[in-house]
Amino acid sequence: MNAAKKWPERALILSRVLPRAFSTTATNASAPSPTFPLKHVTRSNFDSTLVELRSHVRAADFVAIDMEMTGVTSAPWRESFEFDRFDIRYLKVKDSAEKFAVLQFGVCPFHWDSLKKSFIAHPHNFFVFPRQDIPLDGSSYEFLCQTTSMDFLAKYQFDFNACIYEGISYLSRRQEDEARRQLKSRNEVRLTNSSYDLRQTVDVPLVRVSDILFTERMKKRLSEWHDNLLQNRSGGYHDQGVSIDINQQFQTVFFKMRPALSLNGFTSHQLSLIRMVTRKHFEDLAYVRFNSESSSQELVVYTDSENDKHRLMEEVKNEHQGSAEMKINAAVGFRHVIDLLSSENKLIVGHNCILDIAHIHNKFLGPLASTAEEFVACVNKYFPYIIDTKILLNAEHTLRQRMRKKSTSLSSAFSVLCPEIAGGSKSPSQPCVQVEVHVDDMRSSNWNSGAKHEAGYDAFMTGCVFAQACSHIGIDFQLHSPSENLGQNEKLQKHMNLLYLSWINGDIIDLRTGNSTAEFLGSNMIRKWFPKISFENIVLIWGFPSKLKGSVIKECICKTLGSFSVTKVYHLDQTAVFVQFSKAELVSEFLILKETLEQSNDAISVLHPLSKLLEGGNTHAASYETYKDICASPVSKVFFADQAEAVGIKWKTELLASNINKSHLENAPDTAEVVDKSKTKKAEDVVNDSSTENLPCDKILDSFLKVTKSVRTTNV
Amino acid sequence: MVALIRSRLFCTKISQNNNQHRLQWSVKQVTKSNFNESLQEFRSHLSSSDFVAISLQNTGSFSSAWHRVSSFDTPEIAYLKARRAAERFQILQFAVCPFTISGSKVTAHPYNFHLFPRDEFSIGMPSFSFSCQTSYLTAMAQQGFDFNACIYDGISYLSRAQELVAKVKLGNPIGVHDVMKPSSTPPSVADTIFVERVKLRIKNWKKACTDSSGRMKDEALIKSLRKLVLGSEQYGSRPCMTIDVCSERQVQLVLEMLAEFSDDLVALKIPTKGGGIQAVRVVLTDSKDDKSLFERELQNVEEDQNKKIRGFREVIDLISASQKPVVSHNSLNDFSVIHSKFISPLPFNMDEFLISLRSVFPHILDVNHLMKRIGPLENVTSIPAAIAYLKNRFFAPIDMEVYQRAFLNEGKVQGQTVLRICHLFAKLCYVLRITPGAIQSSDDNVTSLLDGYGNAIKSCFGNSHESVDGGIRIWTKSPRKVGCEDLVFLWGFRDRLSAGMLKSLLQGSHDIFSEEFDVCLVDKSCAIVAFMQPNLSQTLLDIMNSEGISGSLRELVSEGLRAAGYETYKKACSLGLWEVDLASSLEKAFAAPDCSSQSVSETKPSEIYWCSDLMINFDDL
Repeated sequence: MNAAKKWPERALILSRVLPRAFSTTATNASAPSPTFPLKHVTRSNFDSTLVELRSHVRAADFVAIDMEMTGVTSAPWRESFEFDRFDIRYLKVKDSAEKFAVLQFGVCPFHWDSLKKSFIAHPHNFFVFPRQDIPLDGSSYEFLCQTTSMDFLAKYQFDFNACIYEGISYLSRRQEDEARRQLKSRNEVRLTNSSYDLRQTVDVPLVRVSDILFTERMKKRLSEWHDNLLQNRSGGYHDQGVSIDINQQFQTVFFKMRPALSLNGFTSHQLSLIRMVTRKHFEDLAYVRFNSESSSQELVVYTDSENDKHRLMEEVKNEHQGSAEMKINAAVGFRHVIDLLSSENKLIVGHNCILDIAHIHNKFLGPLASTAEEFVACVNKYFPYIIDTKILLNAEHTLRQRMRKKSTSLSSAFSVLCPEIAGGSKSPSQPCVQVEVHVDDMRSSNWNSGAKHEAGYDAFMTGCVFAQACSHIGIDFQLHSPSENLGQNEKLQKHMNLLYLSWINGDIIDLRTGNSTAEFLGSNMIRKWFPKISFENIVLIWGFPSKLKGSVIKECICKTLGSFSVTKVYHLDQTAVFVQFSKAELVSEFLILKETLEQSNDAISVLHPLSKLLEGGNTHAASYETYKDICASPVSKVFFADQAEAVGIKWKTELLASNINKSHLENAPDTAEVVDKSKTKKAEDVVNDSSTENLPCDKILDSFLKVTKSVRTTNV
Repeated sequence: MVALIRSRLFCTKISQNNNQHRLQWSVKQVTKSNFNESLQEFRSHLSSSDFVAISLQNTGSFSSAWHRVSSFDTPEIAYLKARRAAERFQILQFAVCPFTISGSKVTAHPYNFHLFPRDEFSIGMPSFSFSCQTSYLTAMAQQGFDFNACIYDGISYLSRAQELVAKVKLGNPIGVHDVMKPSSTPPSVADTIFVERVKLRIKNWKKACTDSSGRMKDEALIKSLRKLVLGSEQYGSRPCMTIDVCSERQVQLVLEMLAEFSDDLVALKIPTKGGGIQAVRVVLTDSKDDKSLFERELQNVEEDQNKKIRGFREVIDLISASQKPVVSHNSLNDFSVIHSKFISPLPFNMDEFLISLRSVFPHILDVNHLMKRIGPLENVTSIPAAIAYLKNRFFAPIDMEVYQRAFLNEGKVQGQTVLRICHLFAKLCYVLRITPGAIQSSDDNVTSLLDGYGNAIKSCFGNSHESVDGGIRIWTKSPRKVGCEDLVFLWGFRDRLSAGMLKSLLQGSHDIFSEEFDVCLVDKSCAIVAFMQPNLSQTLLDIMNSEGISGSLRELVSEGLRAAGYETYKKACSLGLWEVDLASSLEKAFAAPDCSSQSVSETKPSEIYWCSDLMINFDDL
């Protein structure tokens, strides 16, 4: 039931009691079914798993993926709306992928075994956590958590500890490049300074008495050690007692075949003083910082000659660089898996996966592009074959029939299409595609861990649904040669690389072209068809008194601009609405009227029907384009009105630039008339309320019914 | 100042003491499951204690180097920074410790509450979402924090402001406790008709109810018919009727009318989602006794509901009601978080914040501030460092007695910091000769001891230094007073330039830099130049904007060097332009239109203390 974290459905599912009934019956029915957990991957077993995964992916016919995130929408008004234009839907996906973190990544390669006549699935559940292993810039890693999503994951016993303690970190390609660039420039700086130390070689001025005393003491201590060393060398290295200091601050060790003094328990200030002393007073001693795996160690090393010193420095430098590169490589971490999926060019299968793909792009490739077209082009380059099972289920007639108008959420599809795997029961009516699960050494052809909302299991379900769907639309895996890429199968071509940009409206984006198409009519009988919205007819209003309902707003405007002027009022949240006008001209007319009303403070404007909407003096209005600007902002305030303020909107009414002059000229004498008209209109309304009855808006009817209801009760 | 008892002689003894405390203190861990019982216990411990120490564990604090409060921030800017952090991040642990000091003995009762802002009522509160910094979470992991326990079983809460909204949103019936005063305005004809109709309806309904109760049991059909005709419903086991109302006026009229009837009827107001009243529900009770029983029932239901709504905030309310002095280590950050999560959204300016906070917590003691009384120790900001500092210099034996049932000693005990704060505070009281009695008995005393409430908070970020004591100067570089107007922010210089390199670069670039000045880096993109002579900063800004700029400064400017005064910095903060790099924030502040209202309100010149070793430690990030 992957869909639970996909936005449109999530609210639904959260609000309802979660349909767990299915899974409990499943476990009851399949008593002897061998259940073992799927493969959980954390930091500790990542490297070994990656090696195995490589061979699995290489052999796979397709790879199913899924993920769990810390949230879906960063503010209520960022949820998917009916009135969202194509570009805004993308901005909402982008915002979600940028703000939230991926906690679990499920990867499940499926491979057809023609001898067993069964798929072999290897479900993997990666715990991912964006640890800051390498400091890239001054900023810290930060991500947003949506409280309800976290609570939802908790309900399914998500292991947050495993994630934060043991999750695998990652660097995106962009971050890796940046890290390597920084390393390179650090090396260059070091070369030009002819110094290999990580710190700068500026002398520390000795101002404090304590510093001077400390420096003297160190000078003495080092020269003692130095002299001792030379003596011992001639004497044959016997006296061990000298090498160990009482408080263990100095310890004689060997570093790259040279005697050295390791420095422990000094502050960084003291260490820089020691380094200075070494450089100034001892020609044959070298100060070296040596990074071991977990910590760094400061050493003063004895060198035979200037040449030897140079050699030592060269060695240390190379080691530094080597270890820095190793560190970057290790920090790439989980991205190795993504690189693997990309480089093998396998068919990727997800369920309603636009958000997953956006997360992959943002976390593992680089920042998301500002337009859907650019985003899509980039995704297509890295993953040429992506199939969304939700598209498949809705587009193919045979599959729609099989789904029998049931929900196309992942768990529903899984239980309908793969009852054998889901329920563990043999259904005689239809032959199912067999799936055998391999986890390490365990295998089972009848596997069901039942751990829903675990990315690895959800990926497994997605893969099963896909395999079954393929067989229903006539792909015979027995005839399918292993060398052939499933991604090029002609029966899949018409669904290939199509994703729901927004499931709620059936907006589909084509990853190859970036074109958007509305889902063709009648393809989904369950959903009602929405008329095409012309966005130039829409005004965005926010900051009005919070008690105003949509019906009241509509009434206000209808009284002013005519009873059929407004087709629909739609709440973004309690602070903002879209008002859809019947004609585009009404938009500028409304905006101008609002502006003039706000500028004049006479009695007429107070009596004006719109004054209800303008009450409080904080009502803003703008055209649809402003909505896009606000959505594109990285800020996310909970309320839309606060968001608009945070984005920096200072004006109260956005007059449409192209129309201002023209309409001002045309309407200037008219405005008074409009006000007048509406005044008389208002009087009529009081007398004859029935005019509202004819309006097509349900909300008005609702409010009317409410009025009659209350009239009725009071009349009893 | 305080007599400084140099007491190296006693060091061993103290460190022995200290070693004892290095052992784990036990702290009561509180989650949703044991919250109610712990609350009772806490209430009694609180009432018997002199102080309450608090310590918070948040999911983050500052997103990039310059977002952190620094010594060049005026109090207003520091507040803006703290406000931003408080609004973004979430508290996961709230440790509270009521304690008493008598002589050198501290008696402490530490509690560590695990919080999670779960939306218990599905109303989008207390918080829709919150930010996490990975470094904070990993640091918590290193201390053995159990995230599962916190998210599964953390205690939720609502702030005082949210509680009001929640009650409206939940739409639970509101009991009418006190009899309404008769309305002053005379009833209109419509009113009279309305009242008469409702009266008649209630009479009929009541009659039917009492009649049927006397009669034999009706058949189901008749029962439902009666329900339909009379609009009679059940409220629990009692019959009730709903009267729809259109206005507050009608509510008033119905209630007044019912008051005349009041022998056995109880009225409940049914709110709408918008906050108004949509109906009055009238419940019929059997007798006077039954009526009071019902009223008590209602009250209990309401109280339970309120308790559930408040959640952890109950603890905050208890502390606030107790009026006990609250001891904190980083009071600006802690209390801005507390204010935003448990009281109401943070106001825009600092003075409003202080007034609002003061009404809730009249006595706040900041140990950081107290440390400053001993010596200007800008660098001793961490609790262990402060304790070590005191240990090395003063004889202040403190005996900690922690009264808490020992917990299963698995892993590290969470919430130890609050005990360290108690410990440090007790030591400070000992050294500064502050007797707990003095703090409690007289308000004046507290204010004189702590330089006033506002100062206590303002001085937490290092702009109030007492005279430097002779014995301590060696440990600190002496700060000097620099007016904010003498600071210039510079950016657009080469990457990876150190402050020293930048300074030497500037020194040769123009005559103006032949005067005494200082440079420090705020983050990798931006530096501050502090002029020791007045008016030079404006001259620099003018020069950089003028055509006649010459020499190597011209070259620097052509390479992209930009400059801005302190006002621009202030503007960036107050407009909330929290970019990653200060340089881009300042650029944006330049581009933003001037908001005259803000610049007018803040005309008073501010001063900060310039510390030449002011550096931002990038390792801290």
